[in-house]
Amino acid sequence: MHPAGPAAATIATLWWVLLAGATAIFLFVAGLIVLAWRRAPGKSDERVFVVGLGLAFPLVVLAALLAYGLFIGERLLPRAGPDVVTVQAEARQWAWRFGYADAPGRVTEGVLHIPAGRPVDVAITTADVIHAFWVPRLAGKLDAVPGRVNVLRIEAGSPGRYEGLGSEYNGPGYRDHRFTVVAHDPAGWDRFLQDETP
Amino acid sequence: MNTLQRHRALSRIWASDSGWKRWFTTVNHTDLGRMFLAVAVLFFIIGGILAMLIRAQLASPRSAFIGPEHYNQIFTMHGTIMMFLFAIPLFEGLAVYLLPKLLGTRDLAFPRLTAFGFWCYVFGGSMMIFSLLAGMAPDSGWFMYPPLSSTIAAQGINSDFWLIGITFVEISAISAAVEICVTILRYRAVGMSLSRMPIFAWYALVTAVMILTGFPPLILGSILLELERAFDMPFFQVAAGGDALLWQHLFWLFGHPEVYIIFLPAAGAISTILPVMARTRLMGYGWIVAAAVSLGVLSFGLWVHHMFTTGIPHMGLAFFSAASTLVAVPTAVQLFAWIGTLWQGRPDMRLPMLWLLAFFATFVIGGLTGVMVAIVPFDWQAHDTYFIVAHLHYVLVGGFVFPMLAALYYWLPHFVGRKTYFNLGNTAFWLVFTGFHGTFLLLHWAGLLGMRRRIDSYAPGQGWELINLFASVSSFVMAIGFALVLIDVVVNAAVAVRGSRDPWHAGTLEWAMPTPPAPYNFASIPTVASRDPLYDTPDLPVRIARGEGYLGDCARERRETLCVDVATGAPRHITVFPGNTALPALMSAVTGLFFLGMLVKAYWLVPLSALGVICCAMVWVWSLSPKQAEGALHAGHGLALTTAAEVADPPGWWGSLFLLLADGTFFGSLLFGYAFLWTIAPNWPPPAYVEAGLWPLLCLGAGAVLTLAGARVATLSGSALEATGLLALGAGATLILARAPDPTAHAYDATIWVLMGYALVHVLIALLMTGVLSMRRLASHPAVTTTGAARIVRLWSDYAVAVALITFAAAALPGVLA
Amino acid sequence: MRSLLRLALPLTLWLACFSAVYGLAGLLCSSRWSPVADDTTRLTLLALAAMAAVVLQAGLVLALRSPRWQDPDTTLRRASLVLAVAALVSTIWTLLPPLLTTHSCDTGEQAHLPEIR
Repeated sequence: MHPAGPAAATIATLWWVLLAGATAIFLFVAGLIVLAWRRAPGKSDERVFVVGLGLAFPLVVLAALLAYGLFIGERLLPRAGPDVVTVQAEARQWAWRFGYADAPGRVTEGVLHIPAGRPVDVAITTADVIHAFWVPRLAGKLDAVPGRVNVLRIEAGSPGRYEGLGSEYNGPGYRDHRFTVVAHDPAGWDRFLQDETP
Repeated sequence: MNTLQRHRALSRIWASDSGWKRWFTTVNHTDLGRMFLAVAVLFFIIGGILAMLIRAQLASPRSAFIGPEHYNQIFTMHGTIMMFLFAIPLFEGLAVYLLPKLLGTRDLAFPRLTAFGFWCYVFGGSMMIFSLLAGMAPDSGWFMYPPLSSTIAAQGINSDFWLIGITFVEISAISAAVEICVTILRYRAVGMSLSRMPIFAWYALVTAVMILTGFPPLILGSILLELERAFDMPFFQVAAGGDALLWQHLFWLFGHPEVYIIFLPAAGAISTILPVMARTRLMGYGWIVAAAVSLGVLSFGLWVHHMFTTGIPHMGLAFFSAASTLVAVPTAVQLFAWIGTLWQGRPDMRLPMLWLLAFFATFVIGGLTGVMVAIVPFDWQAHDTYFIVAHLHYVLVGGFVFPMLAALYYWLPHFVGRKTYFNLGNTAFWLVFTGFHGTFLLLHWAGLLGMRRRIDSYAPGQGWELINLFASVSSFVMAIGFALVLIDVVVNAAVAVRGSRDPWHAGTLEWAMPTPPAPYNFASIPTVASRDPLYDTPDLPVRIARGEGYLGDCARERRETLCVDVATGAPRHITVFPGNTALPALMSAVTGLFFLGMLVKAYWLVPLSALGVICCAMVWVWSLSPKQAEGALHAGHGLALTTAAEVADPPGWWGSLFLLLADGTFFGSLLFGYAFLWTIAPNWPPPAYVEAGLWPLLCLGAGAVLTLAGARVATLSGSALEATGLLALGAGATLILARAPDPTAHAYDATIWVLMGYALVHVLIALLMTGVLSMRRLASHPAVTTTGAARIVRLWSDYAVAVALITFAAAALPGVLA
Repeated sequence: MRSLLRLALPLTLWLACFSAVYGLAGLLCSSRWSPVADDTTRLTLLALAAMAAVVLQAGLVLALRSPRWQDPDTTLRRASLVLAVAALVSTIWTLLPPLLTTHSCDTGEQAHLPEIR
C-alpha cells in the first residue's frame, strides 16, 4: 500500500474508496441492529426492510461500484503506445528469467530491469507449473499459465529497486520465489541496453 | 391402545439394535444424524489443531518450527478438512437429524442410504487422516491446481490421497442430497403445503439441489486428474492438447457454489432461530424463499471470479465481476429481513442470540470485503494474499461456524433433553469472538502490505511481524474458547437436569415430541394448518402422542410413514421402511476397497470390489421388493392408502430423478470440458480424429430403438428386447474405442475414452436394472408391485440411450467438421 | 413439482443465457474457430444474443403472471414472480457491462516476444 506507479496508485485509491464505503455500511447495519433493542417492539414495515434496504440500496451502491471498477480495469489494460517497452518474464520452480525486446539476447536472472516513467508490458510465461508475477508497489498480479502468454502493464514512477514476488503457490520453494525490479533513469536504461553494468 | 402402550409398541418396532452392533446396523436418522455431527466435530478439532500449527509457525519471522514440506501438507489439509470433512458433513448431519422432525415424519426417505453415506464419509475421511499421520498428505493447496498437483511436479502418492479420498467422501454428499430432496418433497406432515414448510426445509432443499449440481464438476475433475496421474491421459498437460485452466474451471464451477452450500444451511438455521429469540415470526417468508433460490442459482455464474488473474480477457472478467456484485443482493434481502424481524419482536439476549449477533458482525464484514474482491482491479492486487485468507475466514466462520454454534445451543436441549445448566457458554463465546477478530481483522492489512498466502515463513522488516504475532496469540485465545464450548456441551449432555419439552417456546414441529426424541419421532403423523403449528395448535404434541394423527395404529408391526403430495401435502401412500441392517456399512466398506485399489495401484482389486458393490446393491434392492400385493391399507381417519410399492411414482423413482440430475450435471461438465479443450486449449487439433464408420452407427441406431421400445413393454419379452438393445449400444461404444487406440496420445483421445467409458457405465447400470426387473417378473411378483420399478428402469435406460447418442455425436463431430 | 419448476425456471434460464453468451464470446475470440475477425461484428453479435436473452426473460415474467401458468398458492405465486423479475434484472445486469468494455478478446496488444532461451 505504498504505490510507486500509476497502476498501483489507482488501485490504492480504489481501496480507500472501498474501505470508506464498507465502513459506512457496516456502521449503518450495526446501528440498525442495536436499535432493535432500543425501540419499543411493534409491527415494522416489510417493504422498508426487504424492498428498500434489501433490494434498492445494494443495487444502487453496487451499480456505481461495478461501473467504477470496470472503468479502472479498462484503464489498466496494456495499450499500444509509442513509448511502451516490452520485456518477457519466464517463471519456473523457483526462479525468474527476464528477456528484453530492445536488447535481443540479453537475459537476466532474478532481476528485471525497466526504464522508470515509461509503461512496460511484461509478457509472462512459465516453464513448468502455474506461477504469478507480482510487483506489489507497481501493479496487480497476473498468472503464468503453461502454454499461454499473459501480458501485464507495469510502470514505475521513479528510479529505484522494487521487490517482486511469485504469488501463486508453487511448491516447497514458494517462500523464496522472488525477484527484484530495477527501474533506471533514461541514461541508466540506455547503459543497460548497451550491455554495460548499470 | 393408550399413549404409553403406543410408545412402547412403536419403540419396539423402530428400535436400533442394542450393544456394539447398534453402531453398524442402525439406519435410524436420529442415530445417524448424531453420528454424522460427532464425526464432523472430530474433524473440526483435527482441522483446528492444524490451524494452530500454522499460526504457531507464523507467529514470528524466520520460524524454524515446521519445514516447508510439512507446512505445505498442513495448510492443504487444514483447508481440505474444514471444507470437505467438516462443513458439508456438518450440514448433512444437521439435516439428517432435524429434517424429518421439522417436517413431521418418522424418518428420511432412504434410511439405508443415510447409513451408506455416513460410512463412506467415515472411511474416506479416515483415508485422509491416515495420509496426514503417515506424512504423505496432499501438499498442493486445497484447490490442487495442476500441473503442480499432477505427475510433473508431484510424483508421490500425496495428490492421489486427495483425489481418491475426497471423491469417496463426496458419495456421502450426493447420497445425502438425494435423500434430502426426496424427503422434503414427499415426506411431510399432512396439510404441510410447500408454502407452509418450515423455512429451514426450503434452505435445505436449495442446498441439496446445489450439492447435486455443484459437486459433479469436482468429481469429474478429480477423476480426470487421477486418470492423468495413474494412466498418463493428458487432460491438463498443455504439450499433449490438455489445458491446466480446465481444472480451474471445473474446480471453481464446484468451488463457488460450495461457499453457498456452506452458507445456506447456516442461513436456514438463522431464519429458524432468530424469530424465536425475538419472540415473533419471520419477516418476508416468500422473499426469503426467493432469495435462497436466487443465491442458489446465481452462485453458479460466479466461478471465474476466482480466476481474475489467469489472463482471461477483460470482457470475460466483466461478466463475472457483474455477476459477483449481483449475488450480494439476495444476501442483503435476507440480512435486512432478519433485522426487520428483530425490529418487530422483543429480542432476548440468550446464548443462541449472542452467537447470531457474532454472525451479523462477522459476516457483514466478510460480505463487504467480498464485494471489494469482486471488483476486478482490486482483486488483481489482493488475490492470493492474506487479504483473501482473512476474507474467506470472515465469510466461512462468520457465515457458517457462528450460526452453527447458535444452532448447537438452540437445539442442544433437543439433542440431549436437558436444560442448559452452566454459564461456561458465555465465557466461551467471548473468547471465540474476540479471538477470531483478533486473529483475522489485521491480516487483511498484512495481505495488502504484500503478505502472500501459503508462505511457510517470512523475513523480518516488512511491517507485518506485529500483526502476525497478535494474530497468533488471538488464535490461541479462540482455540481455548472452542475447547470451552466442547467441555460445556459434554458436561451439559452428561450431568444437567432434565428439561421441559419446548424450552424456547418455538413453533416448529421438532418441539412437538418428548426430548431426547424417541426413534419413531411422532407417535402419529400430525395434520398442520400453518407454518408454526405449535403456536396455532398448542395441544398438538398431546394429540400426536395420543395417536390422533395418521398411522397411530401400529398393528402391522413394521416401520411405516406417509408420503404426501408435493404441492399440497395431501396424503398419497404409505411407505414401509427397512429394518436394522449392516448391509450399508458392508457396502461402503467394499466401495472403500474399490478406492483403495485405485490408491495403492492394486488394480486387480478394482474390478473385484466393483463386482462386490454390484452384489451388495442386488441384495439391497431385492430385500425390500414385496412378493405380494397388499391393496389399500387403513391409515387412520378412515383413509385407505396403498403402499409405495404399488404406485407408479415410488420414492425410488423420485430418488432416481434427483440422482440423474447430478449424473446429468456430471455429463454436462464433461461435455463442457471437451468443448473447452476443443476451442481454447493450445496444441489442438490432435494428429487424427475418430471417424464414426458404419458398424458403430448401426449398433447405435438399432440399440437405441430396441432399448426405447423394450423399456415400454411391461413383460418379460420387453425386458429381453431392452437388454438386447443395451448390449448393442455397448458394442457400438466399444467399436468407437477401438478406433482411438491410444488414450495417452492426445487430450482428444483421452476424452474419447472418458466419453465412451461414461456411456458404457450407463449401459451397464441399465442392464443390471433390467436384470433385476426380469428376475422379479420371472419370480412372478404381481404386476402391480413392479409398475413403479419398471418406471425406474425406464428412466435409467432412457438416460443411457440419450448418453450413447450424445457421446457418439460428440466423438464424431470434430472429425466431420474438420 | 410444477410449483418448484416455476421457482427454479427463471434464474436457471438466466444461467443458461449467461453461459451461452459467455460461451459465444469465447467462441468468437477463439482464433481457431471464429469466422469473425473484427471487434464491431463481434460486439453486434453479442449484443443481439444479449437482447434475445432479455426478451426471453421478459416473456417469462409475463407468462408467470398469466392465469394459465401462475401458481395457485399466493405465497409461491409472489415468490415466482419476484424470481422472474430478478432473473430479468440479472440478465440485464450481467450482460450489459461486458458490452461496454473494449478489447473484447485479448488482454491487450500482442507483444512480440523477446527470445530468452
